[in-house]
Amino acid sequence: MKRPGPLLTLLAGLVFAVFMLSLNAMTGTKNASNPYRQASPGVSVSASAPSASSSPSPSTSPSPSPSRRALPNADYAGRTDDNSSAVAVSLRGGKAIAYFCDGHDKESWLKGDVKDDGTMKLTGGNGDELNGTLQDGKRIRGTASVGGQRYGFTADRAIKPSGLYRATATVRGAKVDGGWIVLPGGKQVGVVERDGTPSAAPVIDPETGAVTIDGQKIIARPVTP
Amino acid sequence: MTVDPNAATRGFPSPPPAHGGPNPARYLVPALVAAAVAVGLGVYGKVHDPAGTAFNLAGFSSTGAVKSWLATTAFFFALVQLVSALMMYGKLPGPGWASALHRWSGRIAFLVAVPVAVHCLYALGYQTYSTRVLWHSLLGCFFFGAFSAKMLLLRWERLPGWLLPIIGGLVFAVLTAIWLTSAFWFFRTFGVTT
Repeated sequence: MKRPGPLLTLLAGLVFAVFMLSLNAMTGTKNASNPYRQASPGVSVSASAPSASSSPSPSTSPSPSPSRRALPNADYAGRTDDNSSAVAVSLRGGKAIAYFCDGHDKESWLKGDVKDDGTMKLTGGNGDELNGTLQDGKRIRGTASVGGQRYGFTADRAIKPSGLYRATATVRGAKVDGGWIVLPGGKQVGVVERDGTPSAAPVIDPETGAVTIDGQKIIARPVTP
Repeated sequence: MTVDPNAATRGFPSPPPAHGGPNPARYLVPALVAAAVAVGLGVYGKVHDPAGTAFNLAGFSSTGAVKSWLATTAFFFALVQLVSALMMYGKLPGPGWASALHRWSGRIAFLVAVPVAVHCLYALGYQTYSTRVLWHSLLGCFFFGAFSAKMLLLRWERLPGWLLPIIGGLVFAVLTAIWLTSAFWFFRTFGVTT
Protein backbone atom coordinates (compact mmCIF):
# COMPACT_ATOMS: atom_id res chain seq x y z
CA MET A 1 0.00 0.00 0.00
CA LYS A 2 1.44 3.32 -0.98
CA ARG A 3 0.38 6.80 -0.23
CA PRO A 4 0.58 9.16 -3.18
CA GLY A 5 0.45 12.34 -1.06
CA PRO A 6 4.14 12.78 -0.16
CA LEU A 7 5.19 12.13 -3.73
CA LEU A 8 2.70 14.71 -4.98
CA THR A 9 4.11 17.19 -2.46
CA LEU A 10 7.61 16.61 -3.75
CA LEU A 11 6.51 16.91 -7.37
CA ALA A 12 4.60 20.11 -6.64
CA GLY A 13 7.73 21.58 -5.06
CA LEU A 14 9.81 20.49 -8.03
CA VAL A 15 7.39 22.00 -10.55
CA PHE A 16 7.24 25.19 -8.51
CA ALA A 17 11.04 25.38 -8.37
CA VAL A 18 11.39 24.87 -12.12
CA PHE A 19 8.74 27.51 -12.70
CA MET A 20 10.55 30.02 -10.48
CA LEU A 21 13.85 29.20 -12.11
CA SER A 22 12.54 29.77 -15.62
CA LEU A 23 10.93 33.01 -14.46
CA ASN A 24 14.31 34.07 -13.10
CA ALA A 25 16.12 33.02 -16.23
CA MET A 26 13.74 35.11 -18.32
CA THR A 27 13.74 38.22 -16.18
CA GLY A 28 17.11 37.94 -14.56
CA THR A 29 19.01 39.73 -17.28
CA LYS A 30 16.40 42.36 -17.94
CA ASN A 31 16.86 45.69 -16.31
CA ALA A 32 13.71 47.61 -17.09
CA SER A 33 11.42 45.01 -15.67
CA ASN A 34 13.66 44.00 -12.83
CA PRO A 35 12.09 45.27 -9.62
CA TYR A 36 15.20 44.31 -7.69
CA ARG A 37 16.83 47.48 -8.89
CA GLN A 38 13.76 49.62 -8.48
CA ALA A 39 13.61 48.47 -4.92
CA SER A 40 17.27 49.20 -4.40
CA PRO A 41 17.10 51.99 -1.83
CA GLY A 42 18.54 50.40 1.23
CA VAL A 43 16.67 49.14 4.19
CA SER A 44 17.03 52.21 6.32
CA VAL A 45 16.73 54.69 3.48
CA SER A 46 13.60 56.74 3.02
CA ALA A 47 11.29 55.41 0.40
CA SER A 48 11.69 58.61 -1.58
CA ALA A 49 15.35 58.00 -2.24
CA PRO A 50 15.64 58.51 -5.97
CA SER A 51 17.79 55.52 -6.56
CA ALA A 52 16.31 54.07 -9.68
CA SER A 53 15.92 57.43 -11.37
CA SER A 54 19.44 58.56 -10.57
CA SER A 55 20.88 55.39 -11.96
CA PRO A 56 23.23 55.96 -14.89
CA SER A 57 21.58 53.16 -16.78
CA PRO A 58 18.11 54.34 -17.65
CA SER A 59 15.92 51.45 -18.55
CA THR A 60 16.94 50.50 -22.02
CA SER A 61 14.56 47.94 -23.33
CA PRO A 62 16.39 44.65 -23.42
CA SER A 63 16.55 43.05 -26.79
CA PRO A 64 17.20 39.35 -26.57
CA SER A 65 20.56 39.24 -28.23
CA PRO A 66 21.91 36.07 -29.77
CA SER A 67 25.24 36.79 -28.11
CA ARG A 68 23.85 36.21 -24.68
CA ARG A 69 25.17 32.72 -24.61
CA ALA A 70 28.60 33.51 -25.92
CA LEU A 71 29.18 36.37 -23.49
CA PRO A 72 29.38 35.51 -19.82
CA ASN A 73 27.29 37.22 -17.19
CA ALA A 74 30.13 38.16 -14.93
CA ASP A 75 31.90 40.92 -13.06
CA TYR A 76 35.43 42.13 -13.59
CA ALA A 77 37.54 44.31 -11.33
CA GLY A 78 41.09 45.54 -11.46
CA ARG A 79 43.43 48.51 -11.48
CA THR A 80 44.72 50.95 -14.02
CA ASP A 81 48.24 50.39 -15.31
CA ASP A 82 49.55 53.35 -13.30
CA ASN A 83 47.94 51.85 -10.19
CA SER A 84 46.15 55.13 -9.47
CA SER A 85 42.59 54.00 -9.94
CA ALA A 86 40.31 51.01 -10.04
CA VAL A 87 38.01 49.84 -12.81
CA ALA A 88 35.11 47.43 -12.54
CA VAL A 89 32.88 46.15 -15.32
CA SER A 90 29.68 44.20 -14.89
CA LEU A 91 28.37 42.21 -17.85
CA ARG A 92 24.82 40.92 -18.17
CA GLY A 93 23.19 39.67 -21.33
CA GLY A 94 25.46 41.54 -23.73
CA LYS A 95 25.24 44.82 -21.83
CA ALA A 96 27.90 46.34 -19.67
CA ILE A 97 28.16 48.91 -16.94
CA ALA A 98 31.53 50.10 -15.75
CA TYR A 99 32.82 52.21 -12.92
CA PHE A 100 36.09 54.07 -12.85
CA CYS A 101 37.20 55.42 -9.50
CA ASP A 102 40.41 56.71 -7.93
CA GLY A 103 39.19 56.51 -4.34
CA HIS A 104 39.52 60.26 -3.79
CA ASP A 105 37.62 62.58 -6.08
CA LYS A 106 37.58 61.12 -9.56
CA GLU A 107 34.89 58.72 -10.69
CA SER A 108 32.83 57.88 -13.72
CA TRP A 109 29.97 55.54 -14.54
CA LEU A 110 29.96 54.22 -18.08
CA LYS A 111 27.66 51.93 -19.98
CA GLY A 112 27.11 50.36 -23.35
CA ASP A 113 26.83 47.14 -25.28
CA VAL A 114 29.28 44.28 -25.63
CA LYS A 115 29.78 42.98 -29.15
CA ASP A 116 29.84 39.29 -29.97
CA ASP A 117 33.62 39.35 -30.32
CA GLY A 118 33.93 40.59 -26.74
CA THR A 119 34.81 44.20 -27.51
CA MET A 120 32.95 47.01 -25.83
CA LYS A 121 32.79 50.76 -26.11
CA LEU A 122 31.17 52.25 -23.04
CA THR A 123 30.32 55.89 -22.62
CA GLY A 124 29.74 58.05 -19.57
CA GLY A 125 29.17 61.67 -18.66
CA ASN A 126 31.52 64.50 -19.73
CA GLY A 127 32.73 62.56 -22.74
CA ASP A 128 34.23 59.78 -20.64
CA GLU A 129 34.83 56.61 -22.60
CA LEU A 130 35.99 53.08 -21.95
CA ASN A 131 37.19 50.70 -24.64
CA GLY A 132 37.76 47.14 -23.57
CA THR A 133 38.12 43.63 -24.86
CA LEU A 134 36.98 40.55 -23.06
CA GLN A 135 39.75 37.95 -23.15
CA ASP A 136 38.56 34.35 -22.80
CA GLY A 137 35.97 35.55 -20.29
CA LYS A 138 38.81 35.78 -17.77
CA ARG A 139 39.69 39.46 -17.89
CA ILE A 140 38.94 42.71 -19.63
CA ARG A 141 41.85 44.67 -21.01
CA GLY A 142 41.45 48.16 -22.38
CA THR A 143 41.70 51.89 -21.93
CA ALA A 144 39.55 54.36 -20.05
CA SER A 145 39.42 58.06 -20.80
CA VAL A 146 38.12 59.84 -17.74
CA GLY A 147 38.33 63.56 -17.06
CA GLY A 148 40.47 64.06 -20.14
CA GLN A 149 43.10 61.54 -19.05
CA ARG A 150 43.75 58.15 -20.56
CA TYR A 151 44.40 55.04 -18.48
CA GLY A 152 45.21 51.52 -19.54
CA PHE A 153 43.63 48.92 -17.30
CA THR A 154 43.24 45.21 -16.71
CA ALA A 155 40.20 43.91 -14.84
CA ASP A 156 40.21 40.26 -13.80
CA ARG A 157 37.16 38.11 -13.27
CA ALA A 158 35.73 39.03 -9.86
CA ILE A 159 33.94 36.48 -7.75
CA LYS A 160 31.64 37.64 -5.00
CA PRO A 161 32.10 39.42 -2.72
CA SER A 162 34.50 41.14 -5.13
CA GLY A 163 32.76 43.29 -7.67
CA LEU A 164 30.95 46.54 -8.21
CA TYR A 165 28.57 48.10 -5.68
CA ARG A 166 26.48 51.23 -5.60
CA ALA A 167 24.33 52.97 -3.03
CA THR A 168 22.09 55.94 -3.57
CA ALA A 169 20.13 57.59 -0.82
CA THR A 170 19.17 60.85 0.75
CA VAL A 171 21.07 61.41 3.98
CA ARG A 172 20.27 64.53 6.00
CA GLY A 173 18.86 66.25 2.94
CA ALA A 174 21.92 65.61 0.80
CA LYS A 175 21.74 63.36 -2.21
CA VAL A 176 24.34 60.68 -1.65
CA ASP A 177 25.64 58.51 -4.47
CA GLY A 178 28.40 56.08 -3.64
CA GLY A 179 30.27 53.63 -5.83
CA TRP A 180 32.61 50.91 -4.63
CA ILE A 181 34.93 48.50 -6.38
CA VAL A 182 35.86 45.54 -4.24
CA LEU A 183 38.99 44.12 -5.82
CA PRO A 184 39.91 40.45 -5.84
CA GLY A 185 41.74 40.13 -2.56
CA GLY A 186 39.28 42.34 -0.72
CA LYS A 187 40.76 45.83 -1.11
CA GLN A 188 38.15 48.49 -1.75
CA VAL A 189 38.21 51.66 -3.81
CA GLY A 190 35.22 53.92 -3.52
CA VAL A 191 33.96 57.46 -3.92
CA VAL A 192 30.87 59.04 -2.42
CA GLU A 193 29.26 62.09 -3.97
CA ARG A 194 27.28 64.33 -1.66
CA ASP A 195 25.14 66.61 -3.79
CA GLY A 196 27.65 66.17 -6.59
CA THR A 197 30.80 66.73 -4.51
CA PRO A 198 33.01 63.62 -4.54
CA SER A 199 35.16 62.40 -1.67
CA ALA A 200 36.69 59.17 -0.44
CA ALA A 201 34.07 56.62 0.56
CA PRO A 202 33.88 54.77 3.86
CA VAL A 203 34.42 51.03 3.72
CA ILE A 204 31.46 48.79 2.96
CA ASP A 205 30.90 45.35 4.36
CA PRO A 206 31.22 43.43 1.09
CA GLU A 207 29.16 40.58 2.42
CA THR A 208 26.08 42.67 3.15
CA GLY A 209 26.81 45.94 1.36
CA ALA A 210 26.18 47.79 4.61
CA VAL A 211 27.95 51.12 4.93
CA THR A 212 27.57 54.04 7.29
CA ILE A 213 27.55 57.43 5.61
CA ASP A 214 27.30 60.55 7.77
CA GLY A 215 25.97 58.47 10.62
CA GLN A 216 23.30 56.70 8.61
CA LYS A 217 23.49 53.09 7.60
CA ILE A 218 22.65 52.43 3.96
CA ILE A 219 23.05 49.39 1.79
CA ALA A 220 25.22 49.24 -1.30
CA ARG A 221 23.97 46.78 -3.90
CA PRO A 222 25.78 44.86 -6.59
CA VAL A 223 25.50 46.77 -9.85
CA THR A 224 24.19 45.13 -12.98
CA PRO A 225 23.53 46.78 -16.32
CA MET B 1 0.16 -13.92 6.97
CA THR B 2 1.36 -16.55 4.53
CA VAL B 3 3.37 -15.68 1.57
CA ASP B 4 3.34 -17.61 -1.62
CA PRO B 5 6.61 -16.80 -3.30
CA ASN B 6 5.13 -17.60 -6.68
CA ALA B 7 2.10 -15.39 -6.30
CA ALA B 8 1.70 -12.52 -8.71
CA THR B 9 2.87 -9.30 -7.15
CA ARG B 10 0.62 -6.29 -7.11
CA GLY B 11 2.58 -3.27 -6.03
CA PHE B 12 5.34 -2.68 -8.47
CA PRO B 13 8.46 -1.65 -6.56
CA SER B 14 7.86 -3.42 -3.26
CA PRO B 15 6.66 -6.91 -4.01
CA PRO B 16 7.86 -9.36 -1.38
CA PRO B 17 8.66 -7.45 1.81
CA ALA B 18 5.25 -8.16 3.31
CA HIS B 19 6.69 -10.85 5.54
CA GLY B 20 8.03 -8.32 8.00
CA GLY B 21 11.74 -8.40 7.37
CA PRO B 22 12.42 -4.94 6.01
CA ASN B 23 13.73 -4.96 2.52
CA PRO B 24 16.87 -2.83 2.49
CA ALA B 25 16.00 -1.57 -0.98
CA ARG B 26 13.15 0.40 0.45
CA TYR B 27 15.65 2.50 2.40
CA LEU B 28 18.19 2.53 -0.34
CA VAL B 29 16.00 4.43 -2.79
CA PRO B 30 15.16 7.33 -0.43
CA ALA B 31 18.77 7.49 0.71
CA LEU B 32 20.06 7.63 -2.85
CA VAL B 33 17.47 10.20 -3.87
CA ALA B 34 18.35 12.30 -0.82
CA ALA B 35 22.04 12.17 -1.64
CA ALA B 36 21.36 13.00 -5.28
CA VAL B 37 19.17 15.97 -4.37
CA ALA B 38 21.63 17.39 -1.84
CA VAL B 39 24.69 16.93 -4.02
CA GLY B 40 22.82 18.09 -7.11
CA LEU B 41 21.75 21.34 -5.47
CA GLY B 42 25.25 21.93 -4.15
CA VAL B 43 26.86 21.30 -7.51
CA TYR B 44 24.36 23.55 -9.28
CA GLY B 45 25.01 26.29 -6.72
CA LYS B 46 28.74 25.94 -7.21
CA VAL B 47 28.82 25.63 -10.98
CA HIS B 48 26.08 28.06 -11.94
CA ASP B 49 27.31 31.62 -12.27
CA PRO B 50 25.52 33.54 -9.53
CA ALA B 51 23.28 36.04 -11.25
CA GLY B 52 23.44 38.43 -8.31
CA THR B 53 19.82 39.39 -8.77
CA ALA B 54 16.49 37.80 -9.37
CA PHE B 55 13.02 39.20 -9.44
CA ASN B 56 11.57 40.65 -6.30
CA LEU B 57 8.12 40.88 -4.81
CA ALA B 58 6.40 44.23 -4.74
CA GLY B 59 6.29 45.92 -1.37
CA PHE B 60 9.60 44.69 -0.06
CA SER B 61 12.78 46.71 0.10
CA SER B 62 15.05 43.91 -1.00
CA THR B 63 15.11 40.27 -1.97
CA GLY B 64 16.85 39.68 1.33
CA ALA B 65 13.77 40.93 3.14
CA VAL B 66 11.42 38.87 0.98
CA LYS B 67 13.44 35.74 1.57
CA SER B 68 13.74 36.39 5.27
CA TRP B 69 9.98 36.67 5.65
CA LEU B 70 9.31 33.63 3.49
CA ALA B 71 11.88 31.68 5.48
CA THR B 72 10.33 32.86 8.71
CA THR B 73 6.93 31.71 7.43
CA ALA B 74 8.42 28.32 6.64
CA PHE B 75 10.00 28.18 10.08
CA PHE B 76 6.66 29.04 11.70
CA PHE B 77 4.98 26.16 9.89
CA ALA B 78 7.90 23.97 10.90
CA LEU B 79 7.06 24.74 14.51
CA VAL B 80 3.47 23.74 13.75
CA GLN B 81 4.98 20.55 12.33
CA LEU B 82 6.79 19.82 15.56
CA VAL B 83 3.71 20.38 17.71
CA SER B 84 1.36 18.44 15.45
CA ALA B 85 3.85 15.57 15.24
CA LEU B 86 3.97 15.40 19.04
CA MET B 87 0.17 15.27 19.00
CA MET B 88 0.13 12.46 16.45
CA TYR B 89 2.49 10.42 18.59
CA GLY B 90 0.41 11.11 21.68
CA LYS B 91 3.09 13.13 23.45
CA LEU B 92 0.77 16.10 23.55
CA PRO B 93 -3.01 16.17 23.81
CA GLY B 94 -4.35 17.09 20.41
CA PRO B 95 -7.42 17.00 18.21
CA GLY B 96 -8.21 14.29 15.70
CA TRP B 97 -7.19 16.50 12.85
CA ALA B 98 -3.61 16.75 14.10
CA SER B 99 -2.38 14.53 11.26
CA ALA B 100 -4.17 16.64 8.66
CA LEU B 101 -2.63 19.71 10.27
CA HIS B 102 0.77 18.01 10.09
CA ARG B 103 0.38 17.16 6.42
CA TRP B 104 -0.80 20.57 5.34
CA SER B 105 1.53 22.68 7.48
CA GLY B 106 4.36 20.61 6.07
CA ARG B 107 3.25 21.16 2.51
CA ILE B 108 2.94 24.90 3.08
CA ALA B 109 6.33 25.10 4.78
CA PHE B 110 7.95 23.21 1.91
CA LEU B 111 6.30 25.23 -0.84
CA VAL B 112 7.18 28.49 0.90
CA ALA B 113 10.80 27.39 1.24
CA VAL B 114 11.13 26.48 -2.44
CA PRO B 115 11.27 30.03 -3.88
CA VAL B 116 13.77 31.00 -1.19
CA ALA B 117 16.01 28.12 -2.17
CA VAL B 118 15.61 28.89 -5.87
CA HIS B 119 16.70 32.46 -5.25
CA CYS B 120 19.62 31.33 -3.11
CA LEU B 121 20.86 28.91 -5.75
CA TYR B 122 20.15 31.11 -8.75
CA ALA B 123 21.31 34.47 -7.47
CA LEU B 124 23.87 33.65 -4.80
CA GLY B 125 25.12 30.12 -5.31
CA TYR B 126 27.02 27.81 -3.00
CA GLN B 127 29.40 30.07 -1.08
CA THR B 128 32.02 29.47 1.58
CA TYR B 129 33.39 32.92 2.37
CA SER B 130 32.34 32.90 6.02
CA THR B 131 31.35 30.33 8.61
CA ARG B 132 27.72 31.40 8.54
CA VAL B 133 27.54 31.26 4.76
CA LEU B 134 29.34 27.92 4.61
CA TRP B 135 26.96 26.28 7.06
CA HIS B 136 23.96 27.84 5.39
CA SER B 137 25.02 26.55 1.97
CA LEU B 138 25.81 23.11 3.28
CA LEU B 139 22.65 22.69 5.35
CA GLY B 140 20.45 24.27 2.69
CA CYS B 141 21.44 21.54 0.24
CA PHE B 142 21.20 18.89 2.94
CA PHE B 143 17.71 20.00 3.94
CA PHE B 144 16.11 19.34 0.58
CA GLY B 145 17.82 15.98 0.41
CA ALA B 146 16.59 15.00 3.86
CA PHE B 147 13.12 16.29 3.08
CA SER B 148 12.99 14.23 -0.13
CA ALA B 149 14.03 11.17 1.85
CA LYS B 150 11.26 11.73 4.36
CA MET B 151 8.63 12.19 1.68
CA LEU B 152 9.72 8.96 0.00
CA LEU B 153 9.80 7.04 3.28
CA LEU B 154 6.29 8.24 4.11
CA ARG B 155 4.99 6.34 1.12
CA TRP B 156 5.46 3.07 2.94
CA GLU B 157 3.23 2.24 5.83
CA ARG B 158 5.33 -0.35 7.64
CA LEU B 159 8.41 1.36 8.92
CA PRO B 160 10.30 1.02 12.18
CA GLY B 161 8.57 3.29 14.66
CA TRP B 162 11.66 5.34 15.42
CA LEU B 163 12.52 6.16 11.81
CA LEU B 164 10.07 8.93 10.99
CA PRO B 165 10.55 10.84 14.27
CA ILE B 166 14.32 10.73 13.74
CA ILE B 167 14.13 11.96 10.15
CA GLY B 168 11.41 14.49 10.93
CA GLY B 169 13.42 15.81 13.85
CA LEU B 170 16.49 16.01 11.64
CA VAL B 171 14.62 17.95 8.98
CA PHE B 172 13.26 20.31 11.63
CA ALA B 173 16.67 20.84 13.24
CA VAL B 174 18.33 21.53 9.91
CA LEU B 175 15.61 23.99 8.90
CA THR B 176 16.11 25.77 12.21
CA ALA B 177 19.84 26.05 11.58
CA ILE B 178 19.18 27.34 8.07
CA TRP B 179 16.78 29.94 9.41
CA LEU B 180 19.23 31.02 12.11
CA THR B 181 22.03 31.49 9.58
CA SER B 182 19.87 33.49 7.17
CA ALA B 183 16.66 35.18 8.22
CA PHE B 184 17.60 35.55 11.89
CA TRP B 185 20.97 36.92 10.85
CA PHE B 186 19.28 39.26 8.35
CA PHE B 187 16.87 40.64 10.92
CA ARG B 188 19.66 41.16 13.42
CA THR B 189 21.88 42.88 10.87
CA PHE B 190 19.35 45.04 9.08
CA GLY B 191 16.53 45.20 11.61
CA VAL B 192 13.14 43.59 11.34
CA THR B 193 12.10 45.21 8.12
CA THR B 194 10.00 44.56 5.08
